[in-house]
Amino acid sequence: MLVWQDFFWTGGGTIAELSQMLLPVFFLMLCAVSLIQGINAYDAFVKGVKDGMKLTVSIFPSLMAMILLINLLDCAELFDLLSDMISPMISFLPSEILAMCCFRPISGGASMALMVQILRTFGADSLYGTMASVIQGSTDTTLYVIALYFSSVGIKKIKNALWIGLFADFVGIVAAIFLTVHFF
Amino acid sequence: MNLIWVILCGISLLFGLLKNRADLLNQVLVQIGMDTFDFALPVIVTTCFFNGIMEIARECGVLDQLQKLLQPFLNKLFPDVPSDHPSLGYIGANIVINMFGLGFAATPSGLKAMEHLQKLNHDKKQASRPMVTFLVLNTAGVTLFSTNIIAYRMAEGSVDVTRYLPLAIASTCCASLAGLLLDRWWNYR
Repeated sequence: MLVWQDFFWTGGGTIAELSQMLLPVFFLMLCAVSLIQGINAYDAFVKGVKDGMKLTVSIFPSLMAMILLINLLDCAELFDLLSDMISPMISFLPSEILAMCCFRPISGGASMALMVQILRTFGADSLYGTMASVIQGSTDTTLYVIALYFSSVGIKKIKNALWIGLFADFVGIVAAIFLTVHFF
Repeated sequence: MNLIWVILCGISLLFGLLKNRADLLNQVLVQIGMDTFDFALPVIVTTCFFNGIMEIARECGVLDQLQKLLQPFLNKLFPDVPSDHPSLGYIGANIVINMFGLGFAATPSGLKAMEHLQKLNHDKKQASRPMVTFLVLNTAGVTLFSTNIIAYRMAEGSVDVTRYLPLAIASTCCASLAGLLLDRWWNYR
């Protein structure tokens, strides 16, 4: 069997060591490049943070709507109902992960909120915490993108875009689950 | 989205009431403001930070470089679009910004790309082949670096924040590949 670290220059390093280097090295590179090119990195940073502020403020309302929905669903024990229906088929996964898989293509906010719940319940570095992060990172919200992009130019018939998008989501999520189980 | 939201909210309210859980439902509704705030605050702070870093990357021309690297690849993916068409530039920028996990920052360039693709489109009401390919690239696009997920993992006290990354990159590649292959097989036969 091939092992992850065989692919990288770190030799004996593990995924953990490698991934911990990612951010600092990236930042260091940026500092170096901005110095060489004479770019005002400080101003750029401040501007980016300002934009980030606007961005998060603009998604706050939809985030609240999603958290409300999830709390209500949770309160009525509907997640348990859903997973009771699916779990005979896929018994090795907890109900929160299954619910997240269902929500991922529909709403990025909902699956993100579920991911945080999983991180809280199982721990961010646990198997399921990692799995939830991988699932969240494996695809984007198909329904949102399709609705937004096609409606922006007035297209009514979307041909097979939805099916291809959902198929890709499905493959991504299945890959996420299997890869996590295999490499964790 | 509206329909899903209203119906699911309604169903859970109904279920909750039927199960005699009015007190819990009430608690959820009263606390939702504080809950959302607690949930969002750590994320807002970390997202702001990463947005700052990404802005430096953009200023340094890292994003432009990646876009140039993608050019030959884009010409292959969109055979219906002339190779010097402005839509390809926007598609490239969109893919690159998505790669860095800045989904919301990618939206403006994505909308521009759709606008230009629509100019090439013969039937203005129906999606063209390049549009479908672009949508697939966008929804199943390769994400190298999701600032949101990293932010939440940090907020939840992860010791190794980026541990999920190699696995996420691998599965996102699977998703993109599957989507593109299906698109090829279905629409370009």
